[in-house]
Amino acid sequence: MTLSETARLKNRIRKLRFEHGEMTQQELADRIGAARQTIIALEAGKYAPSLMLALRLAKAFGVKTEDVFQWDGD
Amino acid sequence: MNDRIPLAPLQKLAWYQLIVFAIAVALYLVAIPYLAWHRHLTWGVAADPALGMFGVLGLWGFGVYFNYDRKRRAMVKLDEREDFINQRAGTLGMQFFWLAFVLSHMGVWAVYNIRHHTTVPVDVLPLLVLAGWIVYTVTQSIAILVQYKRSASNDSL
Repeated sequence: MTLSETARLKNRIRKLRFEHGEMTQQELADRIGAARQTIIALEAGKYAPSLMLALRLAKAFGVKTEDVFQWDGD
Repeated sequence: MNDRIPLAPLQKLAWYQLIVFAIAVALYLVAIPYLAWHRHLTWGVAADPALGMFGVLGLWGFGVYFNYDRKRRAMVKLDEREDFINQRAGTLGMQFFWLAFVLSHMGVWAVYNIRHHTTVPVDVLPLLVLAGWIVYTVTQSIAILVQYKRSASNDSL
């Protein structure tokens, strides 16, 4: 995925964390088996996750993948 | 709310490698005038034995412990993004290694040819290999730190 495509991938991770009892980045990272820096990069829109990581994120919040990520591309 | 993010194992490894390299360079630069003064040599001549200070780079071997989790008694598991960072840094390091290695070999060969020596002295070769390895490791370390810095600049909770 190119940098411009990554920038068009929006996510609601931060909002979902706060809706889930103000979950910290570290707690979320531990739940999905990732590093906290990866959560930071995701929230900042600087990293496009693999399908598996996206699914794990959605499962951690108990929502569908499209409720976490939105791509406004063509 | 901002807080300090603990360094990831890869970042620790990169910093460790760069610090050891900086120490080796500092020792080398100190050793030249010291040997020149102690052995009554010119700085140019003293620069040769002072290269022994780069033996400190052997401490890079301990870098593997940054990837070891003592609590879990296992190697640290990198997540997918860290794997990408590691791969890209390794590729970049290898590219720079080849550039420096081939250029230095051809450069040395050219210098000896121009001076009508047909062979490169054997003692030059280990230095070239060491230089190549330094280029690889230092480039890899810098690439790791730059990628972490670029992709995780927003540290708010």
